[in-house]
Amino acid sequence: MAKFLENIKKNAMLIVLVLVYVFFVVMTEGKMFSPLNFNALITQNAYVFILATGMLMCMLTGGNIDLSCGSFVCFIGAIGGILMVVKELPAGVSIFVMLLVGVVYGCILGFLVAYVDIPPWIATLAGYLAFRGWGTALLSENSSTGSIAPFPQTFLSIFSGKIFETPINELNIVCVAVGVIASVIVVAVNFLTRANRLKKGYEADSLVSVIVKSTLSVAVIMLFAYKLALAGGIPTVLIWVVAIVLIYSFITSKTTLGRYFYTIGGNKEATRLSGVDTKKIMFFAYLNMAVLTVITSYIVIARFQAANSTAGTNYEMDAIAACVVGGVSAYGGSGSVFGMVVGATLIGVINLGMQLLNVDADKQKIVKGIVLLGAVVFDILAARKNANK
Amino acid sequence: MSLNIRDILKKYTMVFALIAVIIFFWVSTDGKILFPQNINNLISQNAYVFVLAAGMLLCILTGGNIDLAVGSVVCFVGGIGAVVMDKHINVWVAVAIMLIGGALVGVWQGFWISYVKVPPFIATLSGMYAFRGMANVVMQGMTIGISDETFLNVFGGGADCYVPDFFHGEGLNITCMTTGIMVVLIYAVLVIKNRMDAQEKGFEMAPFYSDVAKIAAVGASVLWIFYKLAKYKGIPAGLIWIAVVLIAYGYITTKTTIGRYLYAVGGNEKATRLSGIDSRKVYFFAYINMGLMAGLGGILTIARASGAQPTFGQGYEMDAIAACFIGGASASGGEGGIFGVIIGAVLMGVINQGMSIMGISPNYQKVVKGIVVLVAIIFDVLSNKKKK
Repeated sequence: MAKFLENIKKNAMLIVLVLVYVFFVVMTEGKMFSPLNFNALITQNAYVFILATGMLMCMLTGGNIDLSCGSFVCFIGAIGGILMVVKELPAGVSIFVMLLVGVVYGCILGFLVAYVDIPPWIATLAGYLAFRGWGTALLSENSSTGSIAPFPQTFLSIFSGKIFETPINELNIVCVAVGVIASVIVVAVNFLTRANRLKKGYEADSLVSVIVKSTLSVAVIMLFAYKLALAGGIPTVLIWVVAIVLIYSFITSKTTLGRYFYTIGGNKEATRLSGVDTKKIMFFAYLNMAVLTVITSYIVIARFQAANSTAGTNYEMDAIAACVVGGVSAYGGSGSVFGMVVGATLIGVINLGMQLLNVDADKQKIVKGIVLLGAVVFDILAARKNANK
Repeated sequence: MSLNIRDILKKYTMVFALIAVIIFFWVSTDGKILFPQNINNLISQNAYVFVLAAGMLLCILTGGNIDLAVGSVVCFVGGIGAVVMDKHINVWVAVAIMLIGGALVGVWQGFWISYVKVPPFIATLSGMYAFRGMANVVMQGMTIGISDETFLNVFGGGADCYVPDFFHGEGLNITCMTTGIMVVLIYAVLVIKNRMDAQEKGFEMAPFYSDVAKIAAVGASVLWIFYKLAKYKGIPAGLIWIAVVLIAYGYITTKTTIGRYLYAVGGNEKATRLSGIDSRKVYFFAYINMGLMAGLGGILTIARASGAQPTFGQGYEMDAIAACFIGGASASGGEGGIFGVIIGAVLMGVINQGMSIMGISPNYQKVVKGIVVLVAIIFDVLSNKKKK
């Protein structure tokens, strides 16, 4: 029983996610559960997952955030629009140039934060203001409507649309097959991890809990696969999201570099004294954030098929909220990619649910503000309780 | 002597930067920026910067903590006020509601920040969204006009928001000019009195000529500003509010215990706490005060525009933060003062005004402001590093 309670506590956010989801399903009279909205949940919120991944890396280093990412999405979109639509350059070249701009910004920001010791929120607050202005200015100079379109098909098909698309309500075999393969891999990994730990004499989860975990994972994956199969197939952005999540999950949990992010957040001075170049890690965190922001920008302009001056508004909020809701500490040093994914999904569910319920944008802002604050307060109180133990 | 000049240059870097910026805009706007009407607008349109920056200064003093929500709170409080006045409720009741509303927002944010230890940038980021949303809800997404003459006149909006000229001067507002002369005299007396006090107590004093130079420089600029204002319509109501707020905060930060606590907490929180000061209360005070100033900022903003709009206040947090950092407040807390805030706010005002006169689009204005903030903070961080 004690173990059961502990499990519930450990997965509190997962349970909250399920409850919130069920709440919206009931409120929308099942609309939320339809294949099209499964698809929408992923395509509309892909940006949350990708930005939150970058934000996670920043926050791990000590609760540092990037307020400029939303505006930078807009700015990069404007550059993409000018390159691909106005100058009619090939998609490949444009993608490369946009990435290059992101790398330059990331280096400048990283340099300021890591080597000049500018507090990140001020450095990125400047970017928040400047890039929104610059992006909007570029768009309005190059188009009378303040929005640039249409983007070339090559670009759109890399970052939006579906793979092996089939008509709606016809079961997409590829999608189901991928779901089955993913399920098999997840189950195999779960059991292999356990076997490995037992072999090395580490503490491992009980067989029952591994079986329960595997069953639940398979159920969720297959549900998604089935619903997406009915909605026309695997959305291209899902591939991007999964790839990024897997890569960062690997980096944070299995590599030395990943460990450094945690130790810096835990105790920067101690990490530095033990010979780690903490500045380099901070630099990397912000460079990485800028690169992921560029990828987000690709996805956002591909989804809207246009570069808009309002693109990316409040994205920084969603990304920070996803991390904090997912248990990433606002003071750094703790948090995981899995938690972040749960947090991002929760934010996504709230976004989509409120949209389906026709809650207007203003009230959505209020709800989001409260969710962010609530999550941080929860995190802090929980940490305090742990410290008291 | 050469060392001395370098010290002066260092101490008043931002004053010289301000002069340079004014000269730049003077040249690039063909002198328009120094027209009496533009000097008047500079003060009236940027009154909110002074007020918000004074509030922000207290937060920053406690350890580089900021309030990202002020812009939204200005809009929210202004929206409430406009709605209340639209229902023909007494103006002063409306003003009280706005100030109390601002203070309550401060209590809300201050509670989370000081007692629950939510990092200020997250607590106020949450407020930035939530209060913007609430402002929209309050105004139902619409513009609400304000027609009450008393309100507009007192808080610096409309055509008659000037102190009337009791002497009816021709082409020159005599009340305004007299006030200017009195301000300079009071300032001179204060400086001399401080000097005599210090002498009596045997404190170290700046050389006599430096005090004279200070009085001459401040006196000349004050007289010049009042002369320009007198040639326009006289003292704008906004200036009175700026003066009240700045004098009050100048007093609080330099002469009161709570003011000292703000610096102490920002300098070394732990040491302050261990010496028996409840640092939580200090944070709480700083944020309630910020809320109150945001309330006043809201009042000034809707009066100036003769109405409230859901988009008001965007980027105001930036202006306030920038004014503080330009004015030498330290991003790590414990350093900064009202004099610096004045210089910083004037600089932001000149940049705002200059860019508007030059016809630079609001989009590029954002870019310039972002860069200005960044440069100011880099300068602050680097000069602190050098000191160490």
